[in-house]
Amino acid sequence: MDQIIGLDQIITALVAIVGVPLVLFGYIILGEQVIERLPDSMQEWIRPYFWALPAIGFATIFMVYPLVRTVILSFRNNGDTTWVGLDNYQYFFTFPDTLTSLRNSLLWLVFYTFFAVFLGLVIAILLDRVRYESLAKVAIFLPVPISAVAASIIWRFMFDYQPPGTIQTGTLNALLGTFHTGPVAWLVNSTTNNPALIFVGIWSITGFCMVIISASLKAISTEVLEAARIDGANEFQIVRLVVTPLLWPTITVVGTTMIINALKIFDIPYVMTSGAYDTDVIATQMFRQLATSHYARAAAVGVVLFIAIVPLLVVNIRRFQQQEEQR
Amino acid sequence: MTGVLARLCSRAVALGLGGLMLVACSAGGGGNNNTASSTDVTVWSAWGGQELKAFQDVLKPFEQKEGIKVHLTTVRDANQLAINVDAGTSLPDIANGPTVDKVKDWVSKGVMKPVETALGDQFQNYMTNTYQALTTPPGGGKADLSIGVGSGKHYELMVKTQVKGLFWYNKKIFTGTAPTSFDQLLAINPSQYKAQKLFCVGLESGDASGWPASDMIDNIIMRQNDATFYTNWIEGKVKFTDPQIKLGYQTYLKEVSDQNAFGGRNTVLSTNFGKAGDPLFKTPTGCLFLEQATFIPSFFTQNFPSLNLKAGTDFDFFGHPSMGNSQYDGNVNGFYDNFAMYNDTPAARKLMQYMATTDAQQIWANDGGTLAAIKSITYNDPVYKRAAEVANSAKNLLVTAGDFMPADMQHAFWKSLLNVTKDPGSLDNELKRLDQVQAAAYKKS
Amino acid sequence: MSVRSTTREATGAQVRVSTLSNIGYRLQRLPLHIVIAVFVAIWIIPTLGLIINSFRSLQDMNAAGWWTVLFPPHGFTLASYEQVLQTENVATSIVNSILITLPATVIQLAIATMGAYAFAWMKFPGKDIFFIVIVGLMVVPIQMTLIPVLQFFQLIHLNGTIMAVWLAHSGYGLPFEVFLLRNYLGGLPREIFESAEVDGAGHAVRFLRIAVPMTIPAIASLTIFVFLGVWNDLLVALTYLGTSTARPFTVVISQLVTSLGGGWQFLTAAAVLQMALPLAVFIFLQRYFVRGITSGSVKG
Repeated sequence: MDQIIGLDQIITALVAIVGVPLVLFGYIILGEQVIERLPDSMQEWIRPYFWALPAIGFATIFMVYPLVRTVILSFRNNGDTTWVGLDNYQYFFTFPDTLTSLRNSLLWLVFYTFFAVFLGLVIAILLDRVRYESLAKVAIFLPVPISAVAASIIWRFMFDYQPPGTIQTGTLNALLGTFHTGPVAWLVNSTTNNPALIFVGIWSITGFCMVIISASLKAISTEVLEAARIDGANEFQIVRLVVTPLLWPTITVVGTTMIINALKIFDIPYVMTSGAYDTDVIATQMFRQLATSHYARAAAVGVVLFIAIVPLLVVNIRRFQQQEEQR
Repeated sequence: MTGVLARLCSRAVALGLGGLMLVACSAGGGGNNNTASSTDVTVWSAWGGQELKAFQDVLKPFEQKEGIKVHLTTVRDANQLAINVDAGTSLPDIANGPTVDKVKDWVSKGVMKPVETALGDQFQNYMTNTYQALTTPPGGGKADLSIGVGSGKHYELMVKTQVKGLFWYNKKIFTGTAPTSFDQLLAINPSQYKAQKLFCVGLESGDASGWPASDMIDNIIMRQNDATFYTNWIEGKVKFTDPQIKLGYQTYLKEVSDQNAFGGRNTVLSTNFGKAGDPLFKTPTGCLFLEQATFIPSFFTQNFPSLNLKAGTDFDFFGHPSMGNSQYDGNVNGFYDNFAMYNDTPAARKLMQYMATTDAQQIWANDGGTLAAIKSITYNDPVYKRAAEVANSAKNLLVTAGDFMPADMQHAFWKSLLNVTKDPGSLDNELKRLDQVQAAAYKKS
Repeated sequence: MSVRSTTREATGAQVRVSTLSNIGYRLQRLPLHIVIAVFVAIWIIPTLGLIINSFRSLQDMNAAGWWTVLFPPHGFTLASYEQVLQTENVATSIVNSILITLPATVIQLAIATMGAYAFAWMKFPGKDIFFIVIVGLMVVPIQMTLIPVLQFFQLIHLNGTIMAVWLAHSGYGLPFEVFLLRNYLGGLPREIFESAEVDGAGHAVRFLRIAVPMTIPAIASLTIFVFLGVWNDLLVALTYLGTSTARPFTVVISQLVTSLGGGWQFLTAAAVLQMALPLAVFIFLQRYFVRGITSGSVKG
């Protein structure tokens, strides 16, 4: 049987870790030596491209070019031999499977985004008022570094279902048992399975939102809050009318990040249900098409996903340009 | 400044370039072993757990005797091989054959090498020793893609067989006689034997959820219709909305109804197939029967190590009862593991020859949990002895429908079974949907 | 109302509150504590449950939930871990995860830092357009790129190798990293560079001896972020390494879920092992981790 660690693999990895920075190091130094010998005016425009070349090169090879190719492929057949026009898109919009994945992605979009941000906000505000804030923050943040694969397994146990009348091993169903209600097949039942998956997503990412919002929250000056209190506003009003508006920029940044996450979600449905019982999302649908060699169809699914994201692309770019003006 | 830098720089560049070369060499060297090897052979199989261990046992004597190293990789997803074929990247020397829709294509492209070539003069032995149904196209035809026979040549080597659609029971609980018809089976009263329900069913299996249901419905349909109808259905020539297929679904639903299945629908859908049989051995006994293939005993013993379950004394099976048309009773659902050769190397040929021998297959049989493909293998296990008889006496050893449909169709088929189990009222809708998928999936694109 | 807001930070000048109103104050805050306790419970208990389950035998897990370990008999065992590590491919894949993650992280950060420096401190035609494209690319879903990149790897015969995944991760991660580092580098004081330039230091020196050392905090935080991202990745590895012997731990786990022989005992131990590294990183390097997240989104 094969050994666990291939020596050549370790060498390759070590070489990469040490060698790549060294090569870049050498690239810069050597390159600069050459560039400095050139006339000044040439230096001005060669140098930046020289420096940015690796980054631009990678981005082009791995993102720009594939993007264009995928769009083109979506209008051709699987073997990439002829044009088929809108056939792949037609497939996407007429087959119940793919339509379900679209619907589910929309559900993720709305609920995952809203609750992740909302809970992040609420928890940040609540924790701000207690002394054990740091400890509690650690608890809420803990799921963030955990991979979606591990989180999915954690929650498969929570959602475990045993026949009614037998001992429940899943935490949620056991809890229900203490209230004398029957066990629920969380991942099978179509009313509960999508919410269950979305909840796992929310659970994983709320800590992330909370940390960012909390940082902004702390930056709000206490004088503003004190002034509001002196004016007679109660805590709820303060949160609603003072804190939230001040946090709005942060909330939008976090919100857009969450929306992008929601649209791209793959790991959780893939590991927990493999998209069964109508829990498919766009990304899992695309992967399945890819895995069954329907490359053109997969490309079409990808393009649909991309189109959904384009508005956010525009928003991001606009925000970036605004910030640039302020620099 | 510049002097120091220059020196540093040259050293760095030299290191870096040297490093890159090392990387390139090791990546190239370690990656693709394209040399026609007589000392190494790469094998992909989908097996894990017990089955994998059995295969490793089979390979040990081969490696020792021939001095050839076998590089075994577990590849679960059957589609991965197809991706490599499409991409033209390196293939393993030996791996399972593809889904039936790809066989013709791969044979014509020369992707799969003939078994005749691999076995050489051993081929005749192989043909005589193996179960007829696995190697000979029905009616003496020249091709049967489901067993890897194309244009008169064989492309798939049969190594293991399973018989499906067997009803397993706990011998200490069910002491009655085996029913001969399906109606008789349904009429059995579980409380008579102090069990809660008739059947245990478990359909969950990750991405492949639903495949046990496919086994169940296949065994029903092949006994309600003749073999040609069944094969036509697999090839997409019979619609899902056909009344006979609908009848099959309706019959299947009786096996998973809240009334007949332990734990009701939710349990059926949430239970992993490997654990489905557990209620047979628990107290109070959950159910009387589990419909499954010959590989399931290893799960019984694995899940209940303390009970020390013995085949024949603690558990046994009876064959699938008749559906009422006695002329179709000879249709038995079989499943076989096969290997195809993708790279014609001396080492690969030797391995193929070895796997076709009685020695190799006897090891497989001895490790339990399977029937060999060779008829003459003896089984210590009383259960497998009887299963071998079932396989031998079958008029037609028919394959599992889902496994031989195009990937899209199979997936939709399995999902449809899950969906109707969950909601029997959706049957007509599901069948219509399946027709839609069928129309697209069988199209030559 | 006023009791709540003013006693939060009792200064010396504050009137000492009587014990009775102190209790009243605490009671008023009880709902707050309860709500927080519920949230913390929801966020901690599931993970705790899994970790506990990983130390139980298969039969125990099938018989009763993890909370029963609180009562005797406790039944702790390391059997699941032993089984998992002996399972085909698992140990190899853990090593693979390391072999994938470390180089991938190093490669992308090295390239990103260089590129960020160029975008931050050099003027060149088309710079703005390039940068806008990079900002836009941050949003593009990886799925859009899978097929052509797969074909690209086949073309250069890197298919199924670890190197492919290094390059892929680098390509995917670069836009965000360049964006972040550019902002950070751009914020460095101009004077330092100018005085170095006056002293005769070329760009190479300025970059390597001034810019990089000053950027270490940002790079450190970003490293953790990137490292964990690659360690936890499923989709990229699944696509480019799905069947290769070089596949990482996450892929093997997701395949265990589907496997014919997979039992729950495998999954618990495997999941805990997979989580162990990120959790360790988080616990020991919290500060950098959090800073990496907040600097990207709040400042950026």
